[in-house]
Amino acid sequence: MGDVLSNLSLGFGVVFQLVQWTPAFLGGMSIPIPVNILLCLIGALVGTLVGVLPGIGTIATVAMLLPITFGLPPVGALIMLAGIYYGAQYGGSTTSILVNIPGEAGSVVTALDGFQMAKQGRAGPALAIAAIGSFFAGCVATVLIAVLGAPLTKLALAFGPAEYFSLMVLGLIFAVVLAKGSVLKAIAMIVFGLLLSMVGSDIETGASRMAFNIPELADGLGFATLAMGLFGFAEIIRNLDAGGESDRQLVQQKVTGLMPTKKDLKDSAPAILRGTVLGSILGILPGGGAVIASFAAYTMEKKLSKHPQKFGRGVIEGVAAPESANNAAAQTSFIPLLTLGIPPNAVMALMVGAMTIHGIVPGPQVMQKQPELVWGMIASMWVGNLMLLIINLPLVGIWVRLLRVPYRLMFPSIVVFCSIGIYSVNNAPTDVMLAGVFGLLGYWLIKHDFEPAPLLLGMVLGPLMEENLRRALLISRGDWTVFATRPLSAVLMLISAFLLVLTILPSLRKKRDEVFVESEN
Amino acid sequence: MSDTPSHVPVKYIMPKWIRGPQDFVGGLAMVAIAVFALWASSDLQGMRGFSFGAGTAPRMFAYLLLGLGIAITIVGLVKDGEHITTYAWRGPLFVSAAILSFALTIRPMGLIFSAFTSFLISAMGSPETQWKQTIIVGVCLTAFCSLLFPYALGLPLQMLPKFMIR
Repeated sequence: MGDVLSNLSLGFGVVFQLVQWTPAFLGGMSIPIPVNILLCLIGALVGTLVGVLPGIGTIATVAMLLPITFGLPPVGALIMLAGIYYGAQYGGSTTSILVNIPGEAGSVVTALDGFQMAKQGRAGPALAIAAIGSFFAGCVATVLIAVLGAPLTKLALAFGPAEYFSLMVLGLIFAVVLAKGSVLKAIAMIVFGLLLSMVGSDIETGASRMAFNIPELADGLGFATLAMGLFGFAEIIRNLDAGGESDRQLVQQKVTGLMPTKKDLKDSAPAILRGTVLGSILGILPGGGAVIASFAAYTMEKKLSKHPQKFGRGVIEGVAAPESANNAAAQTSFIPLLTLGIPPNAVMALMVGAMTIHGIVPGPQVMQKQPELVWGMIASMWVGNLMLLIINLPLVGIWVRLLRVPYRLMFPSIVVFCSIGIYSVNNAPTDVMLAGVFGLLGYWLIKHDFEPAPLLLGMVLGPLMEENLRRALLISRGDWTVFATRPLSAVLMLISAFLLVLTILPSLRKKRDEVFVESEN
Repeated sequence: MSDTPSHVPVKYIMPKWIRGPQDFVGGLAMVAIAVFALWASSDLQGMRGFSFGAGTAPRMFAYLLLGLGIAITIVGLVKDGEHITTYAWRGPLFVSAAILSFALTIRPMGLIFSAFTSFLISAMGSPETQWKQTIIVGVCLTAFCSLLFPYALGLPLQMLPKFMIR
């Protein structure tokens, strides 16, 4: 317990750190500035701002804003990026309540009851409960990360390459099982991502692989390039396709009466609690944590409710449960990233990309060698959630106005902003063109019902998997049975195989689809 | 990327015995990517004794993708599935053109010129564009980006065309 407290206090120390700023115009006088808090605040606000724009999901938001953190020191950059992440999530729930356009898959279910509440003039309480639920879930998740962080790191340090490889296989299988849609297609996307990660030079021999003598490909495909193409540009093209404007039914009434009534609070309290527990558990599992968490929480709440027929017509529990689960899962999904160095979902994959750009290789050793980085980020999440709760509710008016920005003006701005962002990473025009190609590829994938998120996961895990596979086989002198004879690795592999068999069984597949079915009604 | 012309309803092109055209075409595309990767990595060294060569892992993943692609194609053949939706041409065309224009002009012409032109080109991607409004927003965005990236974020970007700097 003492460990947890000292770690958290180290984290808060980093967050509240003051930096002396001595501007020339003050003539040598210096002003202390809480830089990290400011970055956290800016990140959360900008994240909300972009996340609120309809049609831009969490992944796209984080991908788009990645370049603005490049100039910062690593701690500040990660704090800001985390801020952008939960800001975007918050923005996503705002759009689903007010416009019925869920910015991302995780808030699809929020839209079911949230939008109905907004139509009845109760957008205020819906937004407030979403924020309160998210904050509560965030608090619990922060403590959970602090408690589980150290022991899991110790476990991870005992891992050899064989165990690591098996763990990554398990993570990817989980991602497939928890995702929506065809299992086969999701696996194909992961393998496609793995294949794309092979472009560039080989880690051991330095041989150029599949680079076709193009100098820009010699170092491999840029992570930011791929993410912005697949999620930024592809989203825009797809939205244009759907004819952006026509299906936007914005709530025109003024949002009045933010405060939820006593009855609202009483109704939603148990839902928030259950959502948090469910979300925290599902978030730690690798895979589409936040998405399945919100769906599962909604389904559970409906099953437990005394009046299930009212769900979908604007009950507050229908907002409280998925929003808490969503946020809890979003934060606990940092656990596998920080302790094991394995990103459990696409947003965490983006975090890995950002860390790598700052020269940090995520994994158990980061927790030990740069504790201020990890704990600073964890503490900042709590502070950021608190700030979102306080700042965002009064700002709802501004967010509503932003929702009225027509798409015809928004999408060219995003195209230009993304282009500049990609160019600024390496000052390479080729990167911009490559992102364009990935944009078209992403559009094609969406059209054929392939999810681009597993691709990103495969792309990030590719080099790690190859390295560990190589090492494991080198140590075992080419004996492939190491994965089955080392006990820990064998257990992980067995779980993966078991999960894969489960998803292929028709009865279980039906159950899995049932969880996602809510969105289609 | 699109292997079918945009305005012809695709379901008439596809023979009837393909029951899930969307999966069928998707699977074939995965097979094509896998074959391409196999060809591209064919010059790389394979296993040396029990240690991996540079080409081992890429080929392994490519074979895996090949298998998965074939499986998806077979699913598309035997299981009733979605038809291929029609592709729009306007959005993809102008957004790609805008990206291409940005990539080609950023070096010689600088940020201000290339940001503004690519804004206008991509605006053509929507039939709903109103030009007066678009130009005003374009000017504002260009101004915002030329302040944000080089000054607020400290990224070294060239603002003006090369010939004007000299």
